[in-house]
Amino acid sequence: MTKPISRKLTAPTAMSLQPRPWGFLGSFTAMASPCEILMQVSDEYVAKQMLTLAYDEARRIEQKFSRFIQGNAVWHLNHAQGESRLIDLETLHLLQFAEKCYVLSDTAFDISACPLMALWRFEGQHRIPEQAEIDDALSHVGFNRITFTNNTLTMPAGMSVDFGGIAKEYAVDRTAQLLAQRWPHAVLVNFGGDIACPVINKDGWQVGIENPHKLDNAAALLTIRQGALATSGNTRRYIEVAGKRYGHIINPKNGYPVEQAPLSVTVLAPNCVMAGMLATMSMLKGAQAEDFLQQQGVDFKVFRG
Amino acid sequence: MQLTSKQHIASALAIASCSLIGQQAYAADPQLTQDDWKVDAAIMYYGEQDRVQAAEAIGNVQKAFGDTSLLDMKIVVDSLTGASASGAVAQAESQTFTRPSGKGEYTINAGDTPLDDTFHDTRVQLSANWQEVLNQDWTTNVGVYASKEFDYLSMGVNAGLERSLNKNNTTLSLSAAFTNDIVDPVGGRPMAMSQMVFRDNYESDADYQAAFDQTRLSGDDTKQTSDIMFGVTQILNRNWLMQANYGLSSVSGYMTDPYKILSEVDLNGQTQAYRYENRPDSRLKHSVFVMTKGALDSGVVDFSYRYSTDDWDIQSHTLETHYRYNLSPTMYAQLHLRYYQQQAAEFYQPFLLSGEDLPEYASADYRIGDMTAYTVGVKFGQRLSNGHEMSYRLEYYQQNPDNNGTVLPGQLQQYDLFPSVKAIVAQVSYSF
Repeated sequence: MTKPISRKLTAPTAMSLQPRPWGFLGSFTAMASPCEILMQVSDEYVAKQMLTLAYDEARRIEQKFSRFIQGNAVWHLNHAQGESRLIDLETLHLLQFAEKCYVLSDTAFDISACPLMALWRFEGQHRIPEQAEIDDALSHVGFNRITFTNNTLTMPAGMSVDFGGIAKEYAVDRTAQLLAQRWPHAVLVNFGGDIACPVINKDGWQVGIENPHKLDNAAALLTIRQGALATSGNTRRYIEVAGKRYGHIINPKNGYPVEQAPLSVTVLAPNCVMAGMLATMSMLKGAQAEDFLQQQGVDFKVFRG
Repeated sequence: MQLTSKQHIASALAIASCSLIGQQAYAADPQLTQDDWKVDAAIMYYGEQDRVQAAEAIGNVQKAFGDTSLLDMKIVVDSLTGASASGAVAQAESQTFTRPSGKGEYTINAGDTPLDDTFHDTRVQLSANWQEVLNQDWTTNVGVYASKEFDYLSMGVNAGLERSLNKNNTTLSLSAAFTNDIVDPVGGRPMAMSQMVFRDNYESDADYQAAFDQTRLSGDDTKQTSDIMFGVTQILNRNWLMQANYGLSSVSGYMTDPYKILSEVDLNGQTQAYRYENRPDSRLKHSVFVMTKGALDSGVVDFSYRYSTDDWDIQSHTLETHYRYNLSPTMYAQLHLRYYQQQAAEFYQPFLLSGEDLPEYASADYRIGDMTAYTVGVKFGQRLSNGHEMSYRLEYYQQNPDNNGTVLPGQLQQYDLFPSVKAIVAQVSYSF
């Protein structure tokens, strides 16, 4: 996990805005994550407006694309029972991006993999799923079985889509872009460790990268002037069965957690969606994560157990 | 996966991610149907000192159908009471006037500007507009309009086309409207420049009525208005945009105000008679409008200028600005300033001189005379926790008519023939 220098993030119930020597720090909770907006602004009203815009956009994307909200766009797709459903332009763009990632990752990144994820949920569980359960789940997975046009999506009954692997990074980039379009001030958008800095900050933002072995301690400190970073691998979620640690990155080809996956991967890229996808793809590479990232020519930090 | 080129995936992702996040701003989830409706309701009060008072209720409903269609419907109901200047001049003695209907009279005290207090009416206006986004570059709209008051019916249609260019940084628009009005004044249309008759000068009601009817034309009359407008909106940079419009308006038909009169005075300024005004039956008007609007750190500001000229010789200049300051993310205050200057119509004259030939066209209506006017207003808006918005507006308006160079004979020099009109506008609006 990554965090800016303000280390402790309690989860506020709504927005909060605090003055800092360099400007204002706004915070709120969205997408089950602590969110922060760091603004190099002297005027409190401007800071409030910026924070409100960020909050509204984060909530909008969460409301629309969360798999857990009944009646939203994703819920309608996942309850279509094989029928076609209308999709709007934004959903189409996310689907097109997901398809691109599915192809680029050689089918390892798959937004239809939720039945597998559900089997490997890491909440107080001390057994691994049966092979029969995995086979059953695999029969409901496969992005290539989803068809979509410019305004409809059709998938076999029992299948579902989950934008969770993209939505947070997407929300960071969208929010960063909206803020940069509206105000000239340097700003850092941080939604649960996924970060974008759309406007150059001459002083640079200090961003800490957590050491998964010593949570809440920054293992590396980066200075970011502009760009984005994202982290894959939530180190607080794994299970150990018979001495073997199973991470939360599941290979949708065989239904098992990726072996020798790093504990966490942090990638720097021009935008957060790109950084997040490179981090996720490298996790799916398991032991070859570092090689993969080196080949991509991006800056990164990998922690292994 | 075998990589054929080293950075194949990173560069493909760079392109895909940029196309994903580089899209236009998205509206709120269209599946939340309550967001498709937008309703504004307002009540407004307009009050001139000692003159017209108006109360107005405004209802506006917008309904979006998907991302491309918008229906906008509006209803305005207003009720007017009070007095308005008849066009006659003040005198050293009290003056008595026949009401426009011919039924009854009213008297104005010595030294006072004659105001006709017959004036009260209720007006209902309805309009509907359909906007359709045809594709990324073209937007079109069509609308209908109707307005009814006791002696007036107005019906119109309009249509427009918008074209976006230059990555939506430039918008060109072309719109046209046609309106047909039917005027059916109380008591009939006065004969042009005919003299007002009085009951006291006749033996019987029948004789009086016959004489009154001689000054009147029966039936209604019509007026047609055709408007065409061309506009350009240009986004200058992240914070500023500019708009320019050119409009051409052609009106033909009955444009005389059937309730306005002129005093006919002698060389001492003493009134000898009252005559009903008459205006030309065609008018061609050009107007040019430029505006710039900017987003500030904590608000919005705009400045605009309008120039208007027509073949009645009325020319006007309007300077206007709004400055909105955001007090907090949910509250704003707005200042409104407007300055207006007008040059009189060629046939405007504050009175007629007896003994001179009657002109074909004449009007003493101060609204088409020389004048300056200004508005100072404040507005305060608040977004409520349920997302609804409440706003309050208060404005002061003052019209200062000027003498267009007419020499004032005798007693007229003692009176203010060009009194100011002072008005207050108050409005409360609720949007949900």
